[in-house]
Amino acid sequence: MTQRNDSLRVGLIGAGAISHAHVPGWLALGAQVTVYSEAGAEALAGQYGLEVAGSLDELWQAVDVVDIVTPTATHAELALAAIAHGLDVVCEKPLARTAADATAVIDAAGRAGVRLFPAHVVRYFPEFLAARDAIAAGRIGRPAVFRFRRQSAAPQSPWFFDDAVSGGIVMDQMIHDLDQAEWLGGPVRRVFARLRRGGDAAAPVVAAQVVLDHESGLISHVHGTWGSPALPFSYSFDVAGDGGVLRFDSVRDDTTRRALPPIDGGGYLPETSGDESPYSAEIADFVRAIRSGGPARVDGADGVRAVRIAEAALESIETGLPVDLVPAGEATDATTDDALNGARA
Amino acid sequence: MSRTTEPLRIGILSFAHPHVEAYARSLVERGIEVVGTDLPPYDAGTQRGAALAERLGIEYLDDVDAVLARAPHGVIVTAENARHRELVLAAIAAGAHVLCEKPIATEVGDALAMVDAADAAGVSLMTAYPVRFAPSFRELVARVRAGQLGEIVAVSGTNNGKIPLDRSWFTNAAAAGGGALVDHVVHCADLLDELLGEPAQEVYATTNRILHADRGVAVETGGVVSIAYPSGVIATIDCSWSQPDSAATWGGLTLEVHGTNGSMRIDPFAAHLSGYAEGGATWDAFGTDLDGLMIDEFLGAIRESRAPSPDGSVGVRTLAIVDAAKRSVRSGTPVGVLATA
Repeated sequence: MTQRNDSLRVGLIGAGAISHAHVPGWLALGAQVTVYSEAGAEALAGQYGLEVAGSLDELWQAVDVVDIVTPTATHAELALAAIAHGLDVVCEKPLARTAADATAVIDAAGRAGVRLFPAHVVRYFPEFLAARDAIAAGRIGRPAVFRFRRQSAAPQSPWFFDDAVSGGIVMDQMIHDLDQAEWLGGPVRRVFARLRRGGDAAAPVVAAQVVLDHESGLISHVHGTWGSPALPFSYSFDVAGDGGVLRFDSVRDDTTRRALPPIDGGGYLPETSGDESPYSAEIADFVRAIRSGGPARVDGADGVRAVRIAEAALESIETGLPVDLVPAGEATDATTDDALNGARA
Repeated sequence: MSRTTEPLRIGILSFAHPHVEAYARSLVERGIEVVGTDLPPYDAGTQRGAALAERLGIEYLDDVDAVLARAPHGVIVTAENARHRELVLAAIAAGAHVLCEKPIATEVGDALAMVDAADAAGVSLMTAYPVRFAPSFRELVARVRAGQLGEIVAVSGTNNGKIPLDRSWFTNAAAAGGGALVDHVVHCADLLDELLGEPAQEVYATTNRILHADRGVAVETGGVVSIAYPSGVIATIDCSWSQPDSAATWGGLTLEVHGTNGSMRIDPFAAHLSGYAEGGATWDAFGTDLDGLMIDEFLGAIRESRAPSPDGSVGVRTLAIVDAAKRSVRSGTPVGVLATA
């Protein structure tokens, strides 16, 4: 058993689908987890042995770190409140619904001297890390054309299809691969995107295609689909350079093959793989960073940048025109400088 | 068109495009009389002209006029892209049905002139798009037409291959009309045309020259094209020459279609034996001979006095997408596709 770690007191805000991905990572570190949610807190606490906070005020007093796993539009407000209470923040991606809000969050965290980690979990998937390492080692030579693809049946919670709340598929799902495009391929300078909806309110589907020009000359394209109920979750990438190409497709994972009869209870087993889940890996990385004061694999500026690219894609979809981005770093620095200047003034 | 029962004679004009080998082989296998001629320039180190004709087992004649003087029922044009118009028009003038290598031309105006000339002469003009004969694509079309995917929402296509450097005209903007954009957009564009049954409306494209930059290639080697259709369907085509020289196979093509009721992805060149031998990884392809099916369609249309499919007009519509992509790259903005109907 993991030893209980009373020095790691975590406040989980939200109890929806993604909370089930985050909680085991905290528990694996021996954290004391307290959950606050408008709905589902008791059930989640019962399932994992968590504490329940009756209000956010109660939560702020009981924890050192908060983990925000609520719908997107609430991220910034909750993060700012946590920061105001001097708490370190882990926030499910996207960091905020808009780049302006995301920037406000990292600026506030900087001023308050607390840590902020947008949970871009794909950076912790081993195949993406392997690609990053191989590219850094020069395996594909100079990057030329990258493509990323991610698809599943459309999510069931209607807020995912409410663009004001979630930003839709671009801001919610494709932001993973937009982040990967820059993490693997460097800064993006131009964004063009198209999006098409289909189906009806009862069974909506949506697909979007984003074409990115990077400052290096690299071209990336990102494909996201929330498809019919028949579409299984899968993702893939293909990164080509002047020295080679590397490919991954989750559908081609042949590590195990199972042919089993239906099993009572669904065949649940205690965890056997020994592989750390990417969600647990990111939480462990964030906790290491908090304790050491060092960097994590993703920081607040990365979270702002991902939202900014997604926002440019949404603008392109709206206008039908490509959108030029301020080079990575400059926009954030300028904002930070303004904030600092404002603070000095 | 009354010559439908006599044995067919097919002419081949130019051996510039390496696909000529598969086409000639298919014709010879089918017992067709083949006469061909080649037109320089020839790249050093490539087998061309009479030597290639001998290897392929076809009769070689000195020039285009000599081939056309044999009154071939059909003519296959496998010249450099920019030379298609001249040779296709000559074949049409000689009364031959024509199968023209893709892309049908380098300029939309040339392609339209070729289609008009064929119509006026009462001969057929076919564009060499063998991928649409793939069983996987036929299955995709059948499922879409049966409504199994519902309404199509989005399509993603890829056609990545090795850079065809052994034939230098492929990377000569004047002879080829461009680089990867010209070479590798049209196959997927043809599949989209057949699948959607509507011409493309608007195109955005971006290209780069990072791949093979060290070889002094003066055309685009990487590119992505984004297409909007009048029905609202969105599509992309990755046309990059991104298959490394070290790869065990030439490249491939994929098409992924998402609809309101279902999705389907095809990879018509996926069937192969993989392994390792002297020299590294191996790839032994097997499966349906798509070039052979295309040749059967060309010959069948001649024998049956009917229009072949894919015809010249789809050659024009797909070239119009390339044309729009080139204009979009120049302007940096989405552009309208020229109406060709």
